[in-house]
Amino acid sequence: MNKKRVIGTLLAAALAVTSLVGCGDSSSGGQTAVNTGAKQTDGKNLPELTTEPMEIILWDIATDEPAKSTQEGAVQRFMADYPNIKITQVHQQNDNYKQQLVVAMSSGQAPNIYVHWGGGPMAEYYNSGYANDITDMYAKYDHPEFIDAAVAQSTYDGKMLAIPFGGLSGCDIFYNKTIFKDLGLEVPQTIDELEDVCDTLKANGITPFSLANASKWTGSMYYMYLVARHSGNAEFDAAYTQENGGTFTSEAFIYAGEKIQDWVKKGYFPDGVNSLSADDNQDRALLYDGSAAMMLHGAWQVSGIKNDNEEWYNENIGVFRFPEDSEAKAKGVPQDVEIGTAIGMGMSFNCYNDDGTVNQDMLDACYVLATQYYNDDTYNNDQLSTGTQPSIKGMEENIDDPNMKIIADVFFNASNVQLWYDQYLPASVTEVHKNCMTELFGLEKTPKEIGEEHDAAMQKALAEQ
Amino acid sequence: MKKNNNMGLAQAKAKSTAIAATVFLFPALLLIGIFIVYPVIDTFVISGYKWNGISADKVFVGLENWKTLLHDEMFWKSFKHNLIVMVFSIVLQIPLGMLLATFLDAGGKKFNFFKIIWFLPYLMSSVAIAFLFVYALATNGGMVSSFASIIQGKKVTIDLLGTAPNALYTVIGVMAWQFTPFYMVYFIAGYGNIDTTIYEAAIIDGATRWQYIKNIAIPLLGPIFKTACIMSLIGSLKYFDMIWNMTQGGPAGTTELMATYMYKLSFQQFSMGYGSTVAAGMFILITAIALIFNKVFKVKEVY
Repeated sequence: MNKKRVIGTLLAAALAVTSLVGCGDSSSGGQTAVNTGAKQTDGKNLPELTTEPMEIILWDIATDEPAKSTQEGAVQRFMADYPNIKITQVHQQNDNYKQQLVVAMSSGQAPNIYVHWGGGPMAEYYNSGYANDITDMYAKYDHPEFIDAAVAQSTYDGKMLAIPFGGLSGCDIFYNKTIFKDLGLEVPQTIDELEDVCDTLKANGITPFSLANASKWTGSMYYMYLVARHSGNAEFDAAYTQENGGTFTSEAFIYAGEKIQDWVKKGYFPDGVNSLSADDNQDRALLYDGSAAMMLHGAWQVSGIKNDNEEWYNENIGVFRFPEDSEAKAKGVPQDVEIGTAIGMGMSFNCYNDDGTVNQDMLDACYVLATQYYNDDTYNNDQLSTGTQPSIKGMEENIDDPNMKIIADVFFNASNVQLWYDQYLPASVTEVHKNCMTELFGLEKTPKEIGEEHDAAMQKALAEQ
Repeated sequence: MKKNNNMGLAQAKAKSTAIAATVFLFPALLLIGIFIVYPVIDTFVISGYKWNGISADKVFVGLENWKTLLHDEMFWKSFKHNLIVMVFSIVLQIPLGMLLATFLDAGGKKFNFFKIIWFLPYLMSSVAIAFLFVYALATNGGMVSSFASIIQGKKVTIDLLGTAPNALYTVIGVMAWQFTPFYMVYFIAGYGNIDTTIYEAAIIDGATRWQYIKNIAIPLLGPIFKTACIMSLIGSLKYFDMIWNMTQGGPAGTTELMATYMYKLSFQQFSMGYGSTVAAGMFILITAIALIFNKVFKVKEVY
């Protein structure tokens, strides 16, 4: 009996500790600005903020360092300048953040500021009346010079709905320079060359690509890039609207699907690819132990790998952009469409009075916070120092990491930035898309069947709009 | 006051019992009302709407969602998965639990160590178990693949969670690992309830241990079996947490259960209306199956 009680107590204690950890502490971290009486917003063209007490609730997902300190720092600086406005910053767990937000909105408990990744969900929040239209404010008042792609991604239906703050992220291929050098391999410029590289790696017992496809969006990056290299944005845009003969079974999608299945059959991807998870960084692990040589992934991997082992990173990791499709190029298809996000994350505002009218005082405060404290010099330097590239013009000049330079270069020279399908597509289609990626890499369905499933889901989603 | 005087003693007692019962039952009923009855009713109400879950405007669509549900391949596929999980849960967990309980009952105090060890899985939270097994079964450095590699002397990948039929059976196995201890304890309690005089009488009559178990204990445990089966049945039909954390219904929907499907619809895909229809459908199916089970397996009370 006693033993049981001891075990029970231990477990209860463990539970209590873990639940406390989850709460975090919003008062710690970040630099506190020295209050000299002068505000950092002085002399700028901004709305006059209220002097009445006000509380603003902000939801983000900055549970971990370094994002936690960076974002808490921005809030601290704002509150030091405007002591009458209290920002309650709530860090939610990323895993169930979207669901939490839906629950909060449906029960009338929606936060005043919330972060999101743009795309389909942002449109959904706006259409449901939980995102203020800030087009006019953005035109009238000062704001950082966000790059065009970032503004485009914060816009829906011609309305500016969010202020970017997460920094841009492209996907490129990270590769092990040492392995490439040892085997005398060159960075491939075309997909054919890429396949040659893969064959050489394979012949030397190295898995060409490290991919953890239990996460599904990871495999999707290969699919998206192959589609983009084969057809630019044309076929995806057409399939997205399902108009003018646009379909997910058009040539580029079939090409991408077949290429991937061909690569799976040739063993370009690790065994058990569908049960490796990127959440646990199992793809990175394959890169670390040298069993895989390349990894198509988002730019955040730079800081991730650096954090794990900076020395190893400097010695071994290089990066190159997804190679070109020479046949498509000959036909004039642009080869510089980049897959990624121009904003990382944006924050939208939900400032309404009880009668449904816009709470302008609060919205003004939110706008100032998002444009002048998030995205200020301190904030951007914090971002840069952790390998995140702010979506602000001119920022690319401050990069010193050579890989980040390449990633930024590719990004800024892209003719178009295609947001990840799983963020861009309507939520119901996203689910289908993700399942299809499992089936594609698992060789369970043909590219055509996958395209047809996408089409059916897309048509259903369009009909419901 | 006058009325009271006219009341008989029995009546007065009945009345005071009724008052006491009301007072004592009220808190429980209130909570059940708020957290069970109201949500169930509201689920059925929402199932009549087309609603994304956050917007203020819900569109009443009548039985439209229910029509969709009847022809929803994914729903019936997940129902089938639920049935498979249910059958395997009953077939695995209950006999195993019974076996372990019999073993412990026969061993008495000596086996207390096993009692504690075997009960441990049930004390862990489903989420922790899910992560534990995801790591143990990982194809890259997981226990299973690593051991297989050592034994065979070359790199072997055993993909239990990433391929189609394996994943569901793996999850069923993990569920059995988690819940068998519960039924074990349940049956231990059942054995404890059997009057020792019955045991003594059987031994005096010359029964062997096996005869006692087969002819006396198991029939006496009948009602316990039945309750255990119903619990296992309902539990596996509404199962959610561990599956969600292990596979999220994947790969490609092959471990999708009704509950995970409902969750995805309601909270990830912005279709709360249809998600509620799935939830209501689940409610109807589970109730129906439990009732049928109850009717078919009428076990006589032997006590």
